[in-house]
Amino acid sequence: MIRITFTNLWARRYRLLASSIAVLIGVAFMSGTLVLADTMGRTFDGLFTDVYAGTDVVVRGESAFEQGDQLQFGIDSRPRIDADLIAQVEEVDGVAVATGEVEGYAQVVGSDGEPIGDPMGAPTLGVVWTDVEELNPMNLVEGGPPTGAGEVVIDRGTAEEGTLSVGDTTSVLTAAGPVEVTIAGVALWGEVDSPLGASIAAFELPTAQELFGEPGEVDAVSIVAEDGLGQEELRDRVAEAVPDGVEVATGAEVTEEGQSDVREALGFFNTFLLTFALVALFVGSFIIYNTFSILVVQRSREMALMRAVGASRTQVLTSTLIEAAVIGLIASVLGLVAGIGVAGLLKGLLAALGLEIPAGGTVVTGGTVLAAFAAGLLVSLAAAFIPARHAARVSPVEALSAAAVETPTRSVLRTGLGLLCTAAGVALIVTGLFADLDNAVAVVGPGVAITFLGVAVLGPVLARPAARLLGAPLPRLKGVAGRLARENAMRNPRRTASTAAALMIGVALVAFISIFAESARASIRATIEDSFRGDFVVDSGSFGFGGFSPNLARDLNDLDEVAAASPVRMTPVEVDGEQTYLVGVDTTVVEDIFDVGIESGSLDDLEVGAVAVFDDRAETDGLRIGDTLPARFIEGGDQELRVAATFSNRDLVGGDYAVGIDTFDEFAPGTLDMSVFVAAADGVDTDRVRAAIDEVTAAYPTASVLDLTEYQEQQADSLNQILGLVYVLLALAVLVALLGIANTLALSIHERIRELGLLRAVGMSRRQLRSTVRWEAVIIAVFGSLLGLVVGLFFGWVMVEALGDSGFSRFELPLAELVIITALAALAGVVAAVGPARRASRLNVLDSLAAE
Amino acid sequence: MAEAAQVTTTTAPAARAVKATKVYGEGPTEVRAIDGVDVEFGRGAFTAIMGPSGSGKSTLMHCMAGLDRLTSGEVYIGDTELSSLSDRELTHLRRDQIGFVFQAFNLVPTLSALQNITLPMILAGRKPDEDWLDQVIDAVHLRDRLAHKPAQLSGGQQQRVAVARALATRPEIVFADEPTGNLDSRAGADILTFMRRAVDELGQTIVMVTHDPLSAGYADRAVFLVDGKVVDEMAEPTPARVIDEIKRLGAPA
Repeated sequence: MIRITFTNLWARRYRLLASSIAVLIGVAFMSGTLVLADTMGRTFDGLFTDVYAGTDVVVRGESAFEQGDQLQFGIDSRPRIDADLIAQVEEVDGVAVATGEVEGYAQVVGSDGEPIGDPMGAPTLGVVWTDVEELNPMNLVEGGPPTGAGEVVIDRGTAEEGTLSVGDTTSVLTAAGPVEVTIAGVALWGEVDSPLGASIAAFELPTAQELFGEPGEVDAVSIVAEDGLGQEELRDRVAEAVPDGVEVATGAEVTEEGQSDVREALGFFNTFLLTFALVALFVGSFIIYNTFSILVVQRSREMALMRAVGASRTQVLTSTLIEAAVIGLIASVLGLVAGIGVAGLLKGLLAALGLEIPAGGTVVTGGTVLAAFAAGLLVSLAAAFIPARHAARVSPVEALSAAAVETPTRSVLRTGLGLLCTAAGVALIVTGLFADLDNAVAVVGPGVAITFLGVAVLGPVLARPAARLLGAPLPRLKGVAGRLARENAMRNPRRTASTAAALMIGVALVAFISIFAESARASIRATIEDSFRGDFVVDSGSFGFGGFSPNLARDLNDLDEVAAASPVRMTPVEVDGEQTYLVGVDTTVVEDIFDVGIESGSLDDLEVGAVAVFDDRAETDGLRIGDTLPARFIEGGDQELRVAATFSNRDLVGGDYAVGIDTFDEFAPGTLDMSVFVAAADGVDTDRVRAAIDEVTAAYPTASVLDLTEYQEQQADSLNQILGLVYVLLALAVLVALLGIANTLALSIHERIRELGLLRAVGMSRRQLRSTVRWEAVIIAVFGSLLGLVVGLFFGWVMVEALGDSGFSRFELPLAELVIITALAALAGVVAAVGPARRASRLNVLDSLAAE
Repeated sequence: MAEAAQVTTTTAPAARAVKATKVYGEGPTEVRAIDGVDVEFGRGAFTAIMGPSGSGKSTLMHCMAGLDRLTSGEVYIGDTELSSLSDRELTHLRRDQIGFVFQAFNLVPTLSALQNITLPMILAGRKPDEDWLDQVIDAVHLRDRLAHKPAQLSGGQQQRVAVARALATRPEIVFADEPTGNLDSRAGADILTFMRRAVDELGQTIVMVTHDPLSAGYADRAVFLVDGKVVDEMAEPTPARVIDEIKRLGAPA
């Protein structure tokens, strides 16, 4: 039996290779992601090891928050420590040398006057240059170290991007405002131009303290041990010499922390990519299912013959499953190999986006190999199981019957099962979205998959009427070619449906994303429209880390053309033991600029130490005016905040807790403004106001001035970048689906070869035959994409409903995009049909007629 | 042999072959399926091409019907020489001037009987000649089966639809390849009777490949092929005479 199985496989090797491509793509993408993750992980592990190679002990402030070292908006949650500690620890026995470290926001301005680096992208860091070689991760390639307040060493990546070289003067934007600098040197970070695309500007310690911290304070002290002294030993000695609230850690511990932070960040990225690999695999499984379903029907006589001469059902089942396993195996091996290429491509893509990953050998771990094989095999076997069971049920008598007959669809049972399955999937989705679950994704994800399966099960019931309807204009438009195309799409609803199902999944996800995005955009626009009472927004484009100096808001308030200007800033904070963030606004003017919907209390009472709370949050937590909230600030330490007001519109504030600027100055000094909201003075021409604002912001290179419409568009467009990536990845799923259509058509043509020969014999032209195949593909593709649109529409609607509380006020259909998606799917059907149609039209008439 | 010599026709033949040769393979594996065949098929006649398996009778038919190309020689449908035609021209020729009846699988399963019958006209985008179509349909007794799909028809009925399709375009010539091969004797006799009437009453020209002496008995003339060559002809064949002839030809030379 095994030998027969392999003989069969060999005879159909090209056909099976084609269907294995469907799985291959998913496996390749998955293993590519894993390879990239491992490669990046190892590279970064190495990077941290290199950077901290010479550091034996680190002295730093204890983390303010209970959750430890977690970063929020790139802001370290540790308070600074006294710079005198440098001298103190240098006296500890065993310390060879100690240097102070200060880090902060520093954006270098290029020779063209534009700041280098994207505030939303990799960080732009100002650091301390140290002459202690063991402690300095930078290696000068040009110029020398910074000497004096006006000198800086920058990384080569930044130097190249800004076309800056040694001796040039430029400015660096900092929290304290722009400073004039001269480039003293250009350096590599370890061995790369810039670490992870970050931009580095290294200053002397006193300058760094002034620009990024406070004079007399440092973020940390790095220590080199004397020869022969262990890190732990020295750590314990240093720990005895430092006061409370200061933490001492070994270089190895800090390395490990950095490595695990990066691993966590990469983990998110990898999960994102893996999700799409899973989608591709899921779509691929439909194609395997389809291929086997068709093969089983085509070979039912052969199987019946096997049964007639004594093969048992189990043998037939096993033989079919072995074929599937071989397909899975081939897909896994090729997918794994292709995956290494995919990893390279992804790496190149990231490099193009400015995320340079240091050179390093590609890492293929045993886990990746195992995952590739498990995925390839499981998907193939699971998808082939139902067709294999059908194969095993073939009765020996069928060997004698004239033609292969497909068992008719039991539509009542199928409808019931399909509806049940769909309902179960929908129930899971709704539960996941609306019930307050800890891990909603674990419920919603399978819910989505089960919904897709349910719709796929229902597909054959819908396929015949749908094909009849969609193909209705064809006989008139395309004559007999059109009529045959329509009949062919209708003759085997199960095949039509499962072919369409693969496309349905891709289209549904694309439609869902575009509906979701359109609704998000519409909601953002509506929010701004409804509650913004001001005229302009001066925006830094950053979120948290970065931004511009608070002086900007002050300068704007001084303008005669401006009635009111309120800065908006954020800082991480721990409220009631829970990490969140605090928003600061100018409470005296904010209500003139936007409608925050004060429900109780008043913003006038928001003096230092008072907080306004989002009313839903207040209700949930049982907070009333006058209650106190325990809050822990990084710099300001533990404080009691008094609830002075509640508000109902947090869309512009962005958080649950808002305080006045004075509170920030008190407990979170040095925080930059993300943006400034501006209301023009009455009766002043808008252009004049704008000109006045422009004049002020000219001194702040990160500030851009937007009017209401521009601000709406900027906020609405903030989704575009991530959407682009999502679309590209979903295109992969659609590509797999197209392979499926091509494969099904090829198999169908093979099956109908005598019919095609007959048509050619009685006078059908090649062109007409091609047209028949092409229009059948179009019907299948349009059917699939319409199903997908319906499912995607539902997903979009339910998602928007679920997020109603999070500011999703509008459900908007991107009609143009949805029409384009459907049209593209139909066009894709035509493309998928090119190969099969050509093959069909080139068939030799006599051979076709003689075919078995 | 003398009496079977030439059955001349008064008008130009519907189809003819001149030194028609078809070679498969090369060198030692070369097979001359037909080898210098000269034959004419008279208009308005029912001709049977007979011969044992491998005699080249199917190849001859395929080449004459424009389904396959000769290695050398010429075949004509009416005055049209086929070897110079492109695939498109051959397709149109088959569609408009030739009718086919195969042994099996004659019908497109997704189309109704009527659609199958009119398929060549539909393909050409032409309206069928309704009067002629009526005559053909009545002749094959299919009027009450026109809306049926092939799967709903018996084997004999399916073959009758196939014959009706072959005649529906009023072709120059109809080629039938073992049209009764898959039928029981009664259904086979029906088809042959009908083909006979198509020639007698509708004036059609039919060439039928068969190895069955009983079938040949329905024809006006039988042409005998052995090893790719025309070895004999017989006018007004009867089953008994055909059997004798086959015995004679099959005897060692």
